[in-house]
Amino acid sequence: MSPRPRLGHVRRPAMLSAAAEVIRERGLENARVSDIAERAGTSAPSVLYYFETKAELLKEALTSAEEEYYDELEGELAGIESARERLARIVAGGAGNGDYDASLWMELWARALRDPQLAATRAQLDGRWRRAIADVVQYGQERGEFGKTEPEGFAMLLSSLLDGLAVQIALKDEEVTPKRARELTLAFAEKELGC
Amino acid sequence: MTEGARERILAAAVERIAEEGIDEVRIARVAMDAGVSTSLVHYHFETREALLAEALEYSYERAGDVRIGEGDGGLADMVDQLLPYPGSLERDWILWVELWLRAVRHPELRPTAARLYDRLRTWLAEGMEDSADAERAADRLMALADGYGIRVLIGAMDIEDARREIWDALTETQPLVKLPESPFR
Repeated sequence: MSPRPRLGHVRRPAMLSAAAEVIRERGLENARVSDIAERAGTSAPSVLYYFETKAELLKEALTSAEEEYYDELEGELAGIESARERLARIVAGGAGNGDYDASLWMELWARALRDPQLAATRAQLDGRWRRAIADVVQYGQERGEFGKTEPEGFAMLLSSLLDGLAVQIALKDEEVTPKRARELTLAFAEKELGC
Repeated sequence: MTEGARERILAAAVERIAEEGIDEVRIARVAMDAGVSTSLVHYHFETREALLAEALEYSYERAGDVRIGEGDGGLADMVDQLLPYPGSLERDWILWVELWLRAVRHPELRPTAARLYDRLRTWLAEGMEDSADAERAADRLMALADGYGIRVLIGAMDIEDARREIWDALTETQPLVKLPESPFR
């Protein structure tokens, strides 16, 4: 039997959303466990009971935020018939409608460089993102909307392009606005997919 | 501060930041590497952000001098220069990613990022002046290089695969971009 307190299943999500908020505001470096605990209405030792390190908090907070994101995205995509429109929805999510959690992702990218555990988390989340893209490509090919591009290869390309653009959006680059990023991406996707 | 001391501090900062990350860098260590006092470093670079910004600009300026002089200056060369090849390019890349992370929360760093992006954009647009829409093509190449480069940097992708895929993406989007045959086969 686990010695975990029974309220754990209630507290954990609260801790994760509190962690996400604090890390977004201050960065992982300056996020204090006591601040996270306070915001979640619990104590620092309880937070540390579930999450041994701050890196683990980042990992779990981002993973849980992404799970929510995909649940919502999948629901929305299912309600869109046209593959092209589905792709447009994916692009809108990746380029600046506020879906992309830039500050948490940036922490993950930068820390994946030096932390193998976070590198594994990044790879896993990245795989999920690419699968979502590849699924839409396949769907479009089945419907005859898209040409014969290899779905996984296209997903790699599109996710890289979106990641690069998302960085500039997050840094408030004046040239690369969310609107321009979406235009650039869609024009590129149309060429690649022949649609 | 003499120009020599300033340059030594920045050169030391580039090395240390690339090795340890901006959060972990100890100012005392940078001072020691540069052969100056800790208080001199603190005096001229009041915050870690200031040191990162200056180190990055310094590194890119130096790299710019080297890059312009190398290769035939064609687009294939440019693609290479955008990727984190071991050595100074990889080191610049690590600083670049540190800048992303910091600039999200420290608006005072954004002008540095914007300047570096602008310089790249101009450089790439010049290299693509034959294409129908050089500016668009340059923005797309820059974003692709960032997206692929970060994956290469953290070991999630082979650099030669990244290079080939970026090149293929450039050539497949014709006639947006007019290019010679791929040199990477």
